[in-house]
Amino acid sequence: MLTLSLMDKNNNRLFIHKDMEHVTLEHSVEIILTPQFYTFIREDLDVKFTYQAKQIAASLFDDYIDNSFDYQYHVNKCNDKWCFFAYNIEEIDQFLESVGIEKHRVSKIYFAQQLNDELKEPIYLSEKNILQTIDDIVTVIPSRLMEANSYYKSLNLSEIKLSSGITMGASLDSFISLKETIILSSLFLILGIIFITEGNRIKSSIFNENQKLTELLDENPKYTSSLLRKSILDKYTPIDKKEREKRQSIKEISKFLSAKSQLQSLNIEKDTIVANIQTSDSTISKQVETHAKAKRFKSTSNGLDVKVEKKL
Amino acid sequence: MNIMTLQRYKNEIILLVAILFALFAFIYKLSANSYVQENQTIIQKQVTEINTITNLKDQWGGKNMANRVKTLKTAVTTSKVKSFNKKSKKLIASYMNLTANELNKVTNKLINIPVQIVTLNINKNGKNQYSMELTCKW
Repeated sequence: MLTLSLMDKNNNRLFIHKDMEHVTLEHSVEIILTPQFYTFIREDLDVKFTYQAKQIAASLFDDYIDNSFDYQYHVNKCNDKWCFFAYNIEEIDQFLESVGIEKHRVSKIYFAQQLNDELKEPIYLSEKNILQTIDDIVTVIPSRLMEANSYYKSLNLSEIKLSSGITMGASLDSFISLKETIILSSLFLILGIIFITEGNRIKSSIFNENQKLTELLDENPKYTSSLLRKSILDKYTPIDKKEREKRQSIKEISKFLSAKSQLQSLNIEKDTIVANIQTSDSTISKQVETHAKAKRFKSTSNGLDVKVEKKL
Repeated sequence: MNIMTLQRYKNEIILLVAILFALFAFIYKLSANSYVQENQTIIQKQVTEINTITNLKDQWGGKNMANRVKTLKTAVTTSKVKSFNKKSKKLIASYMNLTANELNKVTNKLINIPVQIVTLNINKNGKNQYSMELTCKW
């Protein structure tokens, strides 16, 4: 009897079967499930895409699996037909734990059916079982049914190309499909990037004003204090207001004057400006009064003399 | 949470991370907005205040005013300047026999110099003859 290497050291691939011994792993492994852990159906269906085939997978296994358990399905194209696998990931998970394989060590899961060409000749699984392809289906056969002088092939798993593997996580059903995840996540990412860009643009909008303020404060460091600024403003603002009013009032009074209306006196004291204007006749006198009122002067006339007055 | 659970809900976790990213980005945008709203008003107020202070001080601060008020003395002939006393930051001046044109000239000069007019008394003394007394400070 030939000894079969079930654990490939280079590629870390491992057959999983119920009689396997406890293993200790330091690296991740790819596991190949023997038919003890899955149910296989091959069908010639008129569907084009894998996702379409996967949609009908559950109904195909209705009569073959125990519906009281939660099964997962894997579908791949094999030649011109569709290969359907039903498996219970929780059962596999529990078994792996019992033989010392931690879940996070399992990088990929394959099905022994995918080795149907390599298993035309039997391989030795354990003292009790062998693995062989019978009628294109990989099958676990009790070794006692084999002839005593049977030849067992030595299989180097690292040399075999395997595709269509699944991961532990992916084998479990997600509430959201990968396609939806990609679309929605992309939308949220784009939205997030737009918000961040917009936020940065908003923040930079006061950059110029901030820089202007910094320059002004660098030129006048003492104005950093708001109290000092207020104090200076309190001092100069009334002066500015009153002095402008005084000058404006003088200019306005000068406009009331003409050859027929002459200035007799003009006095500015405290907050009052008073001017006496002598007019040549009552018409001019009324004109001066009208103009004075228009400029918000208080005016009184005594004959041809008009007195205009304003509180500053 | 073990690796298997993470793998099982990988799609949901990716989507959750994307949602959280968008949410935090939105909060960042809101905070940027509120930061700008709060600070823009403050900054603009400070800039306006400093500019106003600078302008007011330049105008009413009395820099080089001792020389500028001298033009009030030279605006008319010396004989018409009755008195011209400039002490510290104060000027007391008195004019007599000013014609209407001369009065205009002195008055125009006065209102164009940024001094505080404390008192100003203009009186007509005769035909086309005015006297003027003024006190100003800076």
